[in-house]
Amino acid sequence: MQIAVKNISKDFGKKRSTVHAIKDISLKVEHGEFMGIMGPSGAGKTTLLNMISTNERPDHGQVIIDGLDITQMHDREQAKYRRNKMGFIYQSFELLDSLNVKENVILPLALNRSNKKLIEERFNYMMQLLNIEKLSKRAIDELSLGQRQIVAAARALINSPEILFADEPTGSLDSKSATILLNYMQMINKKEKTTILMATHDAFTASYCSRVVFIKDGVVFSEIVNPGNRDKFFEQIINMQRTIGGGDYFNVSKNY
Amino acid sequence: MYQKIIKRSLSNMRDSYLIYILACSFAIGVFGILLSMGDNPSLHYALRWWDTLIDDITAMMSGLFALCAFVYMIYVGGFFIKQQRNEFLTFEKLGMQRWVIVAIGFIQTVIVQAIAWIIGLIFMFVFQKFMGMLLFYLMQVRLNFEMYIGLQNIGQLFTLFIGSTLILSVINAVKTMRILQKKKRKNSVKTRWRLKIPAGVFGIVLLLTAQVCTLCLFKDMHTVSYSSRPMMEIGYIMGADILGTYLVYYGFLPSVLNIMEKIHSVAYSGINIFSFKYMKERLFQNISILWFVTELSALALALLTFCYFGYQAVHQNYNSAYPFELAANEDTVKVIREELKKNDAKVKGTYKTAVKINLVSYYSKSSQSYIRQPMTFMSYSAYKSLPKRMRKGNSNINSHQFLKIDYKSSVMYGNQEKEHDIEVKNAPMIQSAKVGYSFPYGSSMHFGPMMIVPNKYYQSMPAEVKDTFYGWDFKKGDRLSHSQLQKLNSYRDAYYMKVDFKSSLSRSSIKVMKKEPNKYAASTYTQAGFLRQGSLKKHFKQGGGFYLFIVALYSVALLIALGSVLTLRILLRDDYQSNQLRTLQKIGVEETEVKKIIIRENTLTFLIPIVFALIQSFAAIAMFDFGRHISKNIILIYGGYIVLYALFGLISYKVSWRGVKQKFNL
Ligand SMILES: Nc1ncnc2c1ncn2[C@@H]1O[C@H](COP(=O)(O)OP(=O)(O)OP(=O)(O)O)[C@@H](O)[C@H]1O
Ligand SMILES: [Mg+2]
Repeated sequence: MQIAVKNISKDFGKKRSTVHAIKDISLKVEHGEFMGIMGPSGAGKTTLLNMISTNERPDHGQVIIDGLDITQMHDREQAKYRRNKMGFIYQSFELLDSLNVKENVILPLALNRSNKKLIEERFNYMMQLLNIEKLSKRAIDELSLGQRQIVAAARALINSPEILFADEPTGSLDSKSATILLNYMQMINKKEKTTILMATHDAFTASYCSRVVFIKDGVVFSEIVNPGNRDKFFEQIINMQRTIGGGDYFNVSKNY
Repeated sequence: MYQKIIKRSLSNMRDSYLIYILACSFAIGVFGILLSMGDNPSLHYALRWWDTLIDDITAMMSGLFALCAFVYMIYVGGFFIKQQRNEFLTFEKLGMQRWVIVAIGFIQTVIVQAIAWIIGLIFMFVFQKFMGMLLFYLMQVRLNFEMYIGLQNIGQLFTLFIGSTLILSVINAVKTMRILQKKKRKNSVKTRWRLKIPAGVFGIVLLLTAQVCTLCLFKDMHTVSYSSRPMMEIGYIMGADILGTYLVYYGFLPSVLNIMEKIHSVAYSGINIFSFKYMKERLFQNISILWFVTELSALALALLTFCYFGYQAVHQNYNSAYPFELAANEDTVKVIREELKKNDAKVKGTYKTAVKINLVSYYSKSSQSYIRQPMTFMSYSAYKSLPKRMRKGNSNINSHQFLKIDYKSSVMYGNQEKEHDIEVKNAPMIQSAKVGYSFPYGSSMHFGPMMIVPNKYYQSMPAEVKDTFYGWDFKKGDRLSHSQLQKLNSYRDAYYMKVDFKSSLSRSSIKVMKKEPNKYAASTYTQAGFLRQGSLKKHFKQGGGFYLFIVALYSVALLIALGSVLTLRILLRDDYQSNQLRTLQKIGVEETEVKKIIIRENTLTFLIPIVFALIQSFAAIAMFDFGRHISKNIILIYGGYIVLYALFGLISYKVSWRGVKQKFNL
């Protein structure tokens, strides 16, 4: 799926205490691209993802997916679109407490009224792949944060979405689980041409992307394309982070 | 800072508080109106005949009302504290001292109560006049209802305000304290299926047997005067209904949802996967409230039924006793006619009927004893020529049949059996007679039962005493003045009959005396000279109107209380529950589907209690309707109740959807 973001902006709050979360951003994401979005906390990454994924409406501008202006759609159509084409890994997981792990994971399939055999098949496959089979009967509030994150990832991936939105998908994961998840994301990106948009703070996570866009204070600051070599890409990302950080945080780490 | 916290939590739950405050204000307003009516001069003037009763009734009613309202406030006021659980715990974590948090709980309650009282008192001032006019309308009194609030009442209200607010606030403060002390929350409900399923099944069995028992009661109720069976049945039905409902709610409802959940082909399709669990969780939280509402609704319906049939019975009794506005006999008709002429009464119709009084003896089934007494006889054609309303409570007869009109042995229980073998002095024995309860010319017009006989029988029968009854209908009353009535007072008794009972009927006789005998011997009967039934009708209407007013007020208040309890339960979702709905929306569930969940939740919460309450109140109908078909009016009354109740459901749905939607757009 090809995504074109045209001059979108978004403000929060009332007159005096307005926050310009997104000022004026234009982007183009090609079909099958694995794009990373980086930036300091409060830069507007989540807000940008929410607007592209129709969870929020921009104040101005357009989001065009495969030639369709989704900002013009009705809420109902948006919900349908979201359900059928998109998968989400939210920063705050957004799992349903009253359901257990299995029910949470199969929720997207159940919502589409898929048949039971397919549901079981896909579920077992996902659980095996992400190495969390033993969690399937557990209740959500018994899980650790990392476990919740990986369950959220399983839910996002189970119905093979055409676009995957991942907001800090590895934020709470140990490096092994993170690597498994990232590898899988990379695989579906290569094999099934899933378009992936991923927001992250982590340079290692970002190095899986084919391109990383840096935003700061609601505008696009710069952009790096993966040169084909993960280590080199990683290096470039770290450098860019230092530049954005304006010398504060990252300079401290450099001085060590 | 604390001001801000209180302000914020008040505005966070403003829909819920609004409903609560309105319900409380209504209760306070009604209470104030009832209280002030006790002292209202125009009510006292209008109800002169019931004067001593008014104070007692209004005092009792307002007292009872206040008690119920107070219990409601304690109960529902607690919801709000519970709702703020998380906030309070966070405050404590953030290092706020305990007493400050408790004080916040206290002050919040004071503020809410104060607002409710202010609105309630305004309601009282504004609607006192309106309610009074409504009351007068129901009483059919054409008088202006004057607004009046005594100083004493204001004092009472004020002390009540201070007292109740203090108590409620302390209770809520204690509740806050308790929350802070036990921090753990039972999030996942432990379900003990081994206990629940048998309990649910037992509950169903209880409810079913109660229904079977109700059907029996329909048949047995008329034996209530001599058999203990109906009372036992009523006792069983009440016990089985109350316990059975709880057990069904406790065991059966969750089991059904659980089974539905286990059937994956249903549960795994669409939104069901979530909504079943969600619904189960919500129902679990509300089981005791649903039960409470069910039983109180059943009580309200039973109360309405009782009042309806009570009113009906009294009304019927009244109708059978007072058919004409004014009635007279041979001796007094002249005087009365003269007096009527004097004041230009608008006569709508006059009737006269010749009657014979003779002695009878028979075995009475209802009192299970032999009876000897004088009886008034009227011919079939004379009976038929009277206005139709005279015959309303009687069985239909043809020109060859006999009809015995007698007092009802009980106000409530009419037994439409036949009488047999009535001996009449010097006339053929009456083999069988149908039974009725409407006396033409009124039951107090003459002594004892009346017998309608075929024309031939009437003509050939002898009479101990002959008389003629006269009856008038008027447009706008008989207009007899006070002084005229005083003059007529001496004509109240026409003559006295002293019966000399001997061993056989044919030897017994009646002696007519014009003068009142010194002693009221058991065998002396009085023939009334005239009966002024129009004014009695007025008194009856006033009493009945007052009664209807109170009953209507109570049922409306009960309905509002019950409805608001349910509505509040639905509105006061835990935070995490509404977050779940938001999450659903985020992963692509359409708004209409979330709406469906809310609709389902509302329908279930409102439907379950009313259905169970209706099933139970069926028994109330059985108690009062004595084996007859269920009358149209009672269906109307129930229908009205259901409509009002459903209105609450609708409001609750609207408000709750609005609340959820607001959360979505954050
Ligand atoms: N619902 C909201 N109401 C008000 N302000 C908001 C809201 N959501 C986001 N903001 C503001 O918009 C700005 C961008 O927020 P956003 O969540 O997009 O940042 P982010 O880049 O995702 O940060 P993080 O790395 O911490 O996730 C922030 O300043 C934030 O305070
Ligand atoms: Mg974010």
